Amino acid sequence: MLSSSPPGAERSVRRARPLLGTRVDIRVAGLDAPAAHAAVDAAFAAIADVHRLMSFHETGSDLSALHREASRTAVTVHRHTASVLRLALALSRESDGRFDISIGHRLVQSGLLPAPAGAATPDPAADWHDIELLDGDRVRFRRPLWIDLGGIAKGYAVDCAIEVLRDAGATQACVNAGGDLRVIGPQPESVAIRLDAGDASGTAPHIELENAALASSCGHTLRRSCAGTPAGPHLRGAHGAHIDTDLTAVVVAPRAMVADALTKIVLADADAAGPVLRAHGAQAWRHHPREGWHALAQTTAATPLN
Amino acid sequence: MNARLLLLPLAPLAVATPAWATTYLSVEQAQALMFPSTLLTPDFITLSDVQAQAIEKAAGSKLSNRNLRAWRAADGGWFLVDGVIGKHELIGYAVALSADGTLRQVEILDYRESYGGEVRLPAWRQQFVGKKAGDAVTLDDDIKNISGATLSCRHVTEGVRRLLATYAVVLAARR
Repeated sequence: MLSSSPPGAERSVRRARPLLGTRVDIRVAGLDAPAAHAAVDAAFAAIADVHRLMSFHETGSDLSALHREASRTAVTVHRHTASVLRLALALSRESDGRFDISIGHRLVQSGLLPAPAGAATPDPAADWHDIELLDGDRVRFRRPLWIDLGGIAKGYAVDCAIEVLRDAGATQACVNAGGDLRVIGPQPESVAIRLDAGDASGTAPHIELENAALASSCGHTLRRSCAGTPAGPHLRGAHGAHIDTDLTAVVVAPRAMVADALTKIVLADADAAGPVLRAHGAQAWRHHPREGWHALAQTTAATPLN
Repeated sequence: MNARLLLLPLAPLAVATPAWATTYLSVEQAQALMFPSTLLTPDFITLSDVQAQAIEKAAGSKLSNRNLRAWRAADGGWFLVDGVIGKHELIGYAVALSADGTLRQVEILDYRESYGGEVRLPAWRQQFVGKKAGDAVTLDDDIKNISGATLSCRHVTEGVRRLLATYAVVLAARR
């Protein structure tokens, strides 16, 4: 049972809960069992907090408050929400709108999200330029719009969980929220990349990761048919086209929030992604079943794809 | 920070029934975690037709199993164990309810996934060496992490909803 190890003995604890719409798996080492379980409980609680704040659906979330009121008056959000919005807007600027969290209404149109209850009707012309982050974590919309943080908040939740585990004294930890994951500690981890859209190359992709975060994105499993063509969850900005649902982007970055968000820019535009990746100390790869793997923005000498 | 993408060559797979799994907690470990120092008494119940229909109506989804694995806690709460089956996965989970039936905690106990293609991967295949066809590979020991499909936890969410309905229909009256 839980107390079978001698007191103080270091062991690894691994648990999972259904959170963020996926299975969140947390592993921690370097703590005795009661401390490890307490740390994992606190890490799960941190993830649940992020989910509550940034949920598109939940009426008590910061997003719901923004959708209801921010086009009329400035709304104060939690510092977590403000942190995510700050990076999101910075990435919108750096990617010239290829990353854009104002795509909520497009995802509702595609049937990927339910229309939020009580929200102001979004202006189809609105985009990220219309989101203002003011002093004191206040947010105002210049035009009514719906924010979706599905492309960034999961990574932020992983970062929050990692901070909790680090503060608790874990020497090694891994938080994996359905593929958005981050590893801390001296041990490198091997991550197998699953290609949902298939691969005929006869190879198995793995990425070795040490004190870093990894995210992969592919629209394949969430794709819908929209007017006869496949419509995935990823768009080229607020006014752009749906992205090929066979494309997979894999990003390694110092933080999971950054890795998560950067996958969307890598999917949208490989050329434009290069400078943004370098600015954030990130590496990326793109895969298409017909074209195979393509490496972007390697921080050191290019890694051969052998 | 420098990560490397390794593309390992594949070989045809020898194992007939690919499956891999992670065990997070045993039932006993989950009990100790969710009801620390609390006496739990098994109260397994087979649901009647009438009860099953009422639960399915309230929860909006079908029960796959009429046998309810329930433990009554000395503090009036309940510890429930259930399993759900998805397209590719089988998830066992445990739920802790407070004495008033509020959901207190959900923990995934074990997770099994079976996809045709994945176990063709050599790094995973190697883990099958010495294992019989049909043996589950333990993710914890063999494969650390997987990134790719965001697997939905919809089935667990539906299962939790059924257990809450089961409390309302059956357990609330067994005090």
